[in-house]
Amino acid sequence: MTEMLGLPIIWTVFLCALITALATGLGAIPFLFIKSLSPRVAALANAIAAGLMLGASLGLLAEGVRHDPGRTFIGAAAGIAFILVTQRLIGKHEVEFASLTGAGARRMLLVVVVMTVHSFAEGIAVGVSFGGGQALAIAITVALAIHNIPEGIAITAVMRPRGVPLLACALWSVFSSLPQPLMAVPAFLLVERVRTALPYGLGFAAGAMVYMVLIELLPEAYDQAEGRTIAMLVGLTTVAMLLFQQYL
Amino acid sequence: MAGSMGIGSLLLWSFLAALAAGIGAALGTRPWLAERAVGWASAVAAGLMLGVGYVLLTTGQSIAPAATLFGAAVGLVLMRMLDGVPLTAPGAPTTAVNARVSAPPAHDASAILASALHSAAEGVAIGAAAAVGVPIAQFLLLTLAIHNISEGAVLGVRLRHTGGRPFHIAGVAVIARSSQPLCAVSVLLLASAAPWLLPWCIGASFGALLYLVVAELLPQSYREVGRTGIAVVVSLAAGMVALMGVAP
Repeated sequence: MTEMLGLPIIWTVFLCALITALATGLGAIPFLFIKSLSPRVAALANAIAAGLMLGASLGLLAEGVRHDPGRTFIGAAAGIAFILVTQRLIGKHEVEFASLTGAGARRMLLVVVVMTVHSFAEGIAVGVSFGGGQALAIAITVALAIHNIPEGIAITAVMRPRGVPLLACALWSVFSSLPQPLMAVPAFLLVERVRTALPYGLGFAAGAMVYMVLIELLPEAYDQAEGRTIAMLVGLTTVAMLLFQQYL
Repeated sequence: MAGSMGIGSLLLWSFLAALAAGIGAALGTRPWLAERAVGWASAVAAGLMLGVGYVLLTTGQSIAPAATLFGAAVGLVLMRMLDGVPLTAPGAPTTAVNARVSAPPAHDASAILASALHSAAEGVAIGAAAAVGVPIAQFLLLTLAIHNISEGAVLGVRLRHTGGRPFHIAGVAVIARSSQPLCAVSVLLLASAAPWLLPWCIGASFGALLYLVVAELLPQSYREVGRTGIAVVVSLAAGMVALMGVAP
């Protein structure tokens, strides 16, 4: 595969990943009209994001299993370990951020850093999905772009009440997703050149995303909304995502 | 149906799987089993259910993707309708189990009914798997037998305060789980009579399992234990079951 959507494949991979990163900035838009987001709405947005990521992960796993189930699940375990270790490392640092210090700065930094770190995994997901064919690549790109909007909302919801200008909130949101275009191209090149790496890569991305759902999105959703509502949103968005991947 | 499990075998093996709940319930009555252990047991149960759900989903999608996914949506909606049905009058306990383990005695009936509701959804999964073939049915029965020990332990801890003898509480757990073999046999008969319903049943069981995990087991686990340990346990349990279920 040398071209896709009329562009050299490398450029298509980069542009798709860049689109997903820019979509994060859209999360700042609701704050043009509101001062802050109700915790319940934030929880429901997290539930939708969880469903999208779960659906995308199932698509990646299915593609990986088609190549090699064992390698896919080894990759998934590595993805889980990657997020686990980076979160442990992040949790130990105290720094100044966006002209603020103290607990507020720490919370803002933690949110941005966590989002940035897991963007690495999402960038890898976009890149390796191109190794699985056009339909999978478009499905994963769209899923992650939509999923990134609530992430932008989450970042803005933390920064905006502390007086950070809206444009800066949008830019920090996009910044948190910049690893996506940066990681997507190398990940794609790796699985293209070394085909045996594809199931590892697909599994890595799926494992990291499922773990993100379990360690962040769902617990945060449960804090502000009841389990039944979250279950319906997660379940229906997962099914919708699977249908989208199936019939794209 | 060609290759499907016989009704007699299904009834026998699914009843034996339901008996495993009695072991868990008897353990749950022991004072040394801390409530925190229930959180871990729920996490293991959630992981096993997610793994089983994944295996069912891939099986259903290989037969009829659209029917499986629409069936999943039906399963979600049905579970939402059944979840939270008041047992008697307005304000009475409901079928939901996502309350603290130390919930008041008035919730005993709701805990038993919730266990029966879980079993019914799992019974649908077993019946659908039995209609697909003997190997996947045996795999599911073994997984759900292990899962039943965790679910039985949750019920046992809930009913510990009644002071009932372990044998008696184990009996209650097994009776609550008896909906599993009954639903399994009903679904096998239904799928034999109308094979086009099979992917719908597989999808519905996936949707129901996903709903139960997100609405009930995960919130309970997070409350009792915390997010990191639960995320690791759920991911590992789901990954192992999924790998064993899809590996050639």
